[in-house]
Amino acid sequence: MAIQHPLQFDYGNHYNFSTFYAGNNQELIQQLQKNASGKGEQQIFFWGSQGLGKSHLLQACCFEAHLKQRSNFYLLLESEALPDPDILLGLEKTQLVCIDNIDNITGNQEWEYALFRFYNLHQELQNHLIISSSSPANALNISLPDLKTRLGWGLNMKINSLNDEQRIAALTMKAQTMGLELTPRTANYLLTRCVRDLPLLWEFLNKIDHATLAAQRKPTIPLIKEILQQNQSL
Amino acid sequence: MSSLWNTCLSILEDEISSSDFSTWIRPLQAEEENNQIKLLAPNRFVLDWVKEHHFSKIEQTVQQFSKGDYSISLAIGSKKNNTEVIPLAVKRNTPTKNKRPNFINLAFTFENFVEGKSNQLAKAASIQVSENVGKTYNPLLIYGGSGLGKTHLMHAIGTAILKKKPSANIIYLHSEKFVQDMVKALQQNSINSFKEYYRTVDTLLIDDIQFFAGKERSQEEFFHTFNNLLEKKHQVILTCDKYPKEIEGLEDRLKSRFGWGLPVAIEPPDLETRAAILMKKAMQANVELSQEVAFFIGKRIPSNVRDLEGALRRVIANSQFTGKPITIDFTKEALHDLISLQDKLVNIENIQKTVSEYFKIRNSDLVSKNRKQSIVRPRQIAMCLARELTSHSLPEIGDAFGGREHTTVINACKRIKDLRDSDIKVQEDYANLLRTLSL
Repeated sequence: MAIQHPLQFDYGNHYNFSTFYAGNNQELIQQLQKNASGKGEQQIFFWGSQGLGKSHLLQACCFEAHLKQRSNFYLLLESEALPDPDILLGLEKTQLVCIDNIDNITGNQEWEYALFRFYNLHQELQNHLIISSSSPANALNISLPDLKTRLGWGLNMKINSLNDEQRIAALTMKAQTMGLELTPRTANYLLTRCVRDLPLLWEFLNKIDHATLAAQRKPTIPLIKEILQQNQSL
Repeated sequence: MSSLWNTCLSILEDEISSSDFSTWIRPLQAEEENNQIKLLAPNRFVLDWVKEHHFSKIEQTVQQFSKGDYSISLAIGSKKNNTEVIPLAVKRNTPTKNKRPNFINLAFTFENFVEGKSNQLAKAASIQVSENVGKTYNPLLIYGGSGLGKTHLMHAIGTAILKKKPSANIIYLHSEKFVQDMVKALQQNSINSFKEYYRTVDTLLIDDIQFFAGKERSQEEFFHTFNNLLEKKHQVILTCDKYPKEIEGLEDRLKSRFGWGLPVAIEPPDLETRAAILMKKAMQANVELSQEVAFFIGKRIPSNVRDLEGALRRVIANSQFTGKPITIDFTKEALHDLISLQDKLVNIENIQKTVSEYFKIRNSDLVSKNRKQSIVRPRQIAMCLARELTSHSLPEIGDAFGGREHTTVINACKRIKDLRDSDIKVQEDYANLLRTLSL
């Protein structure tokens, strides 16, 4: 039988609250939803290690704001591709600004000043701000004290990691959104034999999806074993 | 919003990476008129980026779904909509015809400013100024670390002036805004209007003047504005994160002028004031906070008022989410992450290191039996700081200082408390160290 080549769908780009497995982060999600809708806390700073879904949540907030017809902007600060601070000019008028990975501008004087200027104007207009980081605001190595204290002013929350049971639930939910049916046994197999890091698991889920489409098979344990053999790094 | 643009968005979402979509595509606001979609970008940077990287795909998608009936263009701007927020100050101070916004936040008053030893002089001077505009202390300069209430006092002065005279011509702004406005005025050839704008106010409040450092042209302009206002006996109120003479990159003539009136310091609040601030903030949020819990948070978050407020927000949010009352145990749990971090940042070892560096003595001197005055005083200060900033017991503190008795720690704390009341040098040293350790 001829192999069917699947189309390269990127399922990862529908980041909203309904595709996020909350686990023990319900309180954080509730606060973020309120903020994105223009209610609740005006400023939220949340932190946690990599791979817990901070970028997903920030983009979900922007989507939520968009649904409520509120202007929104998602700003990803990647260390290797830091944008020019001019990107902040005029953004103070945006009703919701979400800044991802603020850690990557710490110690960068130009960026810290630009962010400080933006913060004051944005705050004055009573617009909403959500910031993510890998550590709490007062542990960041920000050299501008005025910026540092302002970041600690709003609601500071931690994003909690998931336990294995919750990871299985998250995995099953993610698979469902991709149209894949993972049995609890298969999900458990993936978690115990594959990686436990969620972003890598999502990557692997994409591989399974492609393989099931190509082979016209269900995501069974034998199929996963085959994929694992082809991807030794996992 | 344009329904055609919404259709295009759902298509583009599948074709562009999620982060690129959230940054460059979704924020564009669409205006649809006469078979034309105008996409508004928030600034030049976004516009240029979209033009270079995504515009052809956007154009292609619009053409496809409008069957070639629509054209598309990009511009900088934003749509005016019903949900647009009016700045707080403007909303609360309904401006009369032709009256400019003053940006005073009326939520900040003298009544809701919690007074303690660390800020009572600054508060008293601020009240004086608000009651005798341009007559008593001009300029009034409030200086101190970040997050200690300088901006609150500044707005409180403005609020009090407006309460007495609602038509008062008064402006609050951050020094960065002054610089920004001046640059804009230079670009647009409207420097005379800029000068007139700032030189015709009755009261000018400028926050964080340390940001004038290194900006010579802005300093020059501010110098003339400042002189002009003072000549006319109009009030100038300034804040700064340090005593102006300590600011590098600030012209000497400005440094000297800033000191003409009354410079007043605002220090980090002591434990009692921190607890009082928390209770007042909780009351404003209609939340009951016991004194016991307020002291607990105040003790564990010894840094600045913003951090205190952040911690209180966390406790209140958690209590509202879980429906549990705010007790000590509940607060411990809610602030678990912040407290453990604070403990890591401020510990006895760190205090000893900071104190020995400050007094230029060896770390080992602090734990030695040396009884020279030059060693004893720093040791007593370090013990006192350890008591204020950590949750270690007195025997533990004594132990960390060369195995001393807990009664030695009690005596040290009492001695430093007395000296802070009588000796300005000790008062300053203690405040400086507290500020360094709390940042």
